[in-house]
Amino acid sequence: MSSEAKSRIQVLQGTLDLIVLRTLRTLGPQHAYGIAARLEQVSEDLLKLNQGTLYPALVRLEQQGWIKGKWDKTENGREAKYYALTKAGIKALEEETQRWRQLSGLVEKLLLEES
Amino acid sequence: MQRLFAKLNNLFRSGRADRELDREVSAHLTLLEDEFQNRGMSIENARFEARRAYGGVEQAKQLHREERSILWLEQTFADLRFACRSLLKTPGFTTVAVLTLALGIGANIAIFAVVNAVLLQPLPFQHSEQLVRVFDDLNGAGGKDIGMSEPEFEDLRDRSGVFDHISALFPGSSALSGGDHTERIELLVTSSDYFQLLGAQPALGRVYGPRDAQPGFTESVVISDGLWKRQFGGDPRILGRRIRVDEDGYTIVGVMPPDFRHPARTLTGDVELWAAFGFAADPLPSPPVRAQRLLPGAIARLKPGLTILQAQQHLDALTAQLAQTYPKEYPAASKWSLRLEPVEQTLTGSVRPTLVVLLAAVGFVLLMVAVNMASLLVARSSARMRELAIRQALGASRARLVRQLLTESVLLSLAGGLAAMLVLALTKGSLLALMPSDLPRLSEVHFDARVVILASVLSLATGILFGLTPALHASSTDPNRDLKEGTRGGTSSLRQNRFRSALVATEIALSVVLLSGAGLLVHSFWNTLRVNPGFDPQGMLVARIWIPFPNNPAMNRYRTAPAIAGFTREILRRARTLPGIEEAAMGGDNSVPLVTNTRNQTAFWLPDQPDSAVKQRAAESASVSPEFFQVLRTPLLRGRFFTESDTDKSKLVVIVNESFAKLYLTGPAVGQRINFRVGQRFADWEIVGVVQDVRNDALDTNASPRFYRPLYQGTANEMAIFLRGQPDSSGLKQAVTGIVQAVDPDLPVYGVRTLREMMATSLARRRFSLSLMAVFGALALFLASIGIYGIMAYAVSQRAQEFSIRMALGAEARDILLLALRPGAILTLTGVALGLAAAQGATHLMASLLFGVSAADPITFVSVPVTLALVALLACWIPASRAVRIPPVAALRS
Repeated sequence: MSSEAKSRIQVLQGTLDLIVLRTLRTLGPQHAYGIAARLEQVSEDLLKLNQGTLYPALVRLEQQGWIKGKWDKTENGREAKYYALTKAGIKALEEETQRWRQLSGLVEKLLLEES
Repeated sequence: MQRLFAKLNNLFRSGRADRELDREVSAHLTLLEDEFQNRGMSIENARFEARRAYGGVEQAKQLHREERSILWLEQTFADLRFACRSLLKTPGFTTVAVLTLALGIGANIAIFAVVNAVLLQPLPFQHSEQLVRVFDDLNGAGGKDIGMSEPEFEDLRDRSGVFDHISALFPGSSALSGGDHTERIELLVTSSDYFQLLGAQPALGRVYGPRDAQPGFTESVVISDGLWKRQFGGDPRILGRRIRVDEDGYTIVGVMPPDFRHPARTLTGDVELWAAFGFAADPLPSPPVRAQRLLPGAIARLKPGLTILQAQQHLDALTAQLAQTYPKEYPAASKWSLRLEPVEQTLTGSVRPTLVVLLAAVGFVLLMVAVNMASLLVARSSARMRELAIRQALGASRARLVRQLLTESVLLSLAGGLAAMLVLALTKGSLLALMPSDLPRLSEVHFDARVVILASVLSLATGILFGLTPALHASSTDPNRDLKEGTRGGTSSLRQNRFRSALVATEIALSVVLLSGAGLLVHSFWNTLRVNPGFDPQGMLVARIWIPFPNNPAMNRYRTAPAIAGFTREILRRARTLPGIEEAAMGGDNSVPLVTNTRNQTAFWLPDQPDSAVKQRAAESASVSPEFFQVLRTPLLRGRFFTESDTDKSKLVVIVNESFAKLYLTGPAVGQRINFRVGQRFADWEIVGVVQDVRNDALDTNASPRFYRPLYQGTANEMAIFLRGQPDSSGLKQAVTGIVQAVDPDLPVYGVRTLREMMATSLARRRFSLSLMAVFGALALFLASIGIYGIMAYAVSQRAQEFSIRMALGAEARDILLLALRPGAILTLTGVALGLAAAQGATHLMASLLFGVSAADPITFVSVPVTLALVALLACWIPASRAVRIPPVAALRS
C-alpha cells in the first residue's frame, strides 16, 4: 500500500462515516456503487475517491450496528448488496451531525480569529 | 464491544468474509462497467475504466480485512498455520526437535517439581516459619546435639520467654501387641502440646493437648493413617480402642490424616504412633536430674513477631544464667549452649546441596538443548534462504520474518513442553520410585500450578531463546544476493558457518561443565566404594530386635545385665545352629552400622588426662557382645576384645575406636579410664582395647569418636543379631525371626537385611545424584558430538571442490585430511578451553557432594577434556575422511 493512499483515507477517516450515513439517509437503502456515485455527484468531482475505499467504512458501520447490508437486485437486474440505516444508525447520524457542526463551527471560528 | 465480538467472529470466519467481499466487489465492478457502457464505451474500455475508478482491488481488500478483524491476531494464526505446515513437511526434523526439547524441558520440570516440594514450599503447617528445633551443644567438648535433660526442658518452656509452645521429641521403637504377632512400630514420644504446636488436626477423633499434661505417659494416644489401615483395617470405630504398647495399655483417641508427616527425623520411617509424656516419671528416673540428658531434642514455636536471631539472643542469656546457677552441671570449659535452627533447615538441609546441583545441571542440559536447536534451525534456515529472500522481495518486513520464524520455534518448544508434561504425568509414580526413599518430603511432590507455570514459561522461553538468534540471523538477508545464491545451488555464506561454529563451541563448553560435574561424582562414588567401612559386609545378615520398655520398671524382664546376658547367650546358641551360619554376635543400642541412631552422644570425663578436672567431652557409644568385632572383622589395633567374663560382676571396661584415641587421649590408650554416668551413678570404665574405626553413620561420613561397652555389663533396648555365613539363602530371614520368638514371643524382630543391602541404601542418595549426572553428562556429550558432526559434515561438503582441486594438483590424502580436520580441532579446543574455565567455577558449588576428591580433581579435569576431544575429533574425522575419498573428477564436475 502506498503511503499516499493511506494518508488520503486518514484524512477522510472521521468524515467518511458521517458522509455515508447522511447519503443513506437521503437516498434510502443503497449499494456501495450508488453511494460512491452520489458522493461524486454531490461533490461535483471535488471529492475524487477510489470507490474501493468505501468498503472499510461500510464494514465499520455495519459492525457498529448502524447500517445493515442485504443482497438484492438493481433495476437492471444486477445483484448488489444494499445497505440501509438501522434505528441505531439514524440516532448515530443525528449525534454525529451535531458533533460535526460543533467541530466545524469551532474550526471556522479559530480560522476567522487567526486571519 | 459489539465491534470486538464482530472482529473476533471474523477471525475464525475469515474465509467466509473474504468470499462475501469478493462477491460484493465484483458486483460493484459490474455496476461500474454498466455505467461506463451506458456512456458509450466499448466492453473492453468499460472494464478497464471500471477497475481504474475502483482503485487497487487487492489493497481495498486488505484494508477491508484490517478493518473487520484484529490484524496481529490474524497474522499470528496465519503464522501458526504456516509453521504447522512447514514443520509437518519435515517430519524427521520435527520429531527429533520435539523429542530433544521434551527431554530437556521434562528433565527440568521433574527436578523442579522435587525442588519445589522439598525446598521451596513452606512446610504444611500454619506459620511454619515460626517452627524451630532446639539443640544442646557442648562446644568445648566437641559435642553437637547431645540431648537435653528434663529440668533444662522446663527452663526452656517456663523461663525462656520466646516460645508459644515447646515439645520434646523422642523418636523410638515400640512393640505393638494385640494382633497375631507383636509388631515393631515407629513411635514418637512428645510433650502434651505437640499437636497444638504444629497446629495439626486429626482426621478422626481428637489429639491430646496441654490438658493431658502429667509427669508420666498420657493414656490417650494418636495413630497414623498408615497404621490405622494396616493394623486396624481402617475401622471407623477405632476411637476408644485399647492397645498394648511395650506392655502398657493405651487408648486410641485420634487418627491423623494420610498427608500428616512429623517434620523431623525418625528412625526407620513415618511415625505411626504418637504418645504424650511428661518425662518426669517412670520409666525415666524421677525426680529428673539436671545433668542427665535423656531427651534427644525439642521442637518449638516462636512467639509471633520474634526472629530466630532475637530468640537465640534470649536463649544465650538464659544459658549464661543457668551456667552460673549450676556450676557443677555446666563446667565453663565444656561451653554448654542451646542452638535454634528452622525446622525446615534441619529436615531438608542435608539434601539441599544435592538438589541445587541437580537443578543447575539440568538447567545446563536445557541450555545445551537450546543451543543444539539453534544450530539445527540455522542449518534449516540456510536451506530456506531462498524462501525467505522471496518473502522479503515481496515486501515482508524483517520484523515480520522474525515473527514468523519465532512462531515456528516457539511452537516446537511448546510441543516439547506439552509432550514432557504428558510423559511426566503418566510416569510420575515410577519416577518417584526411582528417588532415594530417605529424601524428606517426597510425598509432597505434585505437579501443582507452580510446576505447570514453570513448564509453560520454560517452554516459551526456550523457544524464544533458541529461535531468536537464528531468526534474526536468517532474516538479515539481502534478497538480491540470496536469490542468486539460492539459484546457484545453496552455497551458504561464511557468516552463517561462523555463527554455527560459535554455537557448537558453546555446546562443547557446556558439555565440559556437565561432564566435569558427573566425573567428580563418579570419582567420589568410586571412593565411597573403596572406603574401608571397618567391617566386612560379605555374607553378613543383620536382624534387629526391640526389647519393650514398659513404664513400670518391675514389668521389664530385661532390666538387669544378667537378664540381657542370658537372653543374648540363648539367641546366639540357637543362631549358630542355623543352616549356613558360621558365626554370630549381638549388639545393643547403637551397634548397627549405617542406620539412624536413636541416642545422642554421651558426655564423659577423662580422669587420666591432665585437663580432666575442667574438660568434659562427648562421643558416641554402643554396647556389643564379646564376639562382635571378630564376627564383623573389625581389626583390633591394641589391647584385647571383650570376653565372656566381662560381666556386671567384673571390672567395668570399654573399647574405644581409633578416632577416640587420636582425638582425646595422649599416651597409651589401654589402661586409661573414662568416667560417665550410667543410670544415677558416675563410674570409671577402663579402656582395654582400641579397634579400627567403623563407618557407623554412612560410608561417606568419617567415623566419629566412639566407645564400646560390653553388652553383658549393662542393659539395652535396641538389640541386633549379626550373622555371618550364606545370608542370601532363602528362608534364613524367617528363621532368624523364628529363633527370637522361640526365646520370647513378645519381642518384635524387624529390619532383617544383609549388610550389603544396608550399604546400598546408605549410598542411595549418592547413587541417585550420580546416575542423574551421568545421564546428563552422556546426553551433553551426545548433543555436542552431533553438533560438531553436523557442522563438519557441512563444511566438508562445502569444500569438496576445493579439496578436489588440491588433490588434482597433487595433495596427499593426509594433507587433505589434516586440512579438513583443522577447523573442527580449533572449534573443539576453543570449546574445551572455555568449558574448563567455566567448570572450575561451577564445580566448586559441588564441594559438599564430593567425597575424597577436591573440586579441582586432576583426574576428572584431565579425563573429561581428553574424552570430549576424542569424541569431537571422531565426529570431525568421519566427514573429513569422506572428503578424501571423493573422486576429484566427480567433485569438480558437480
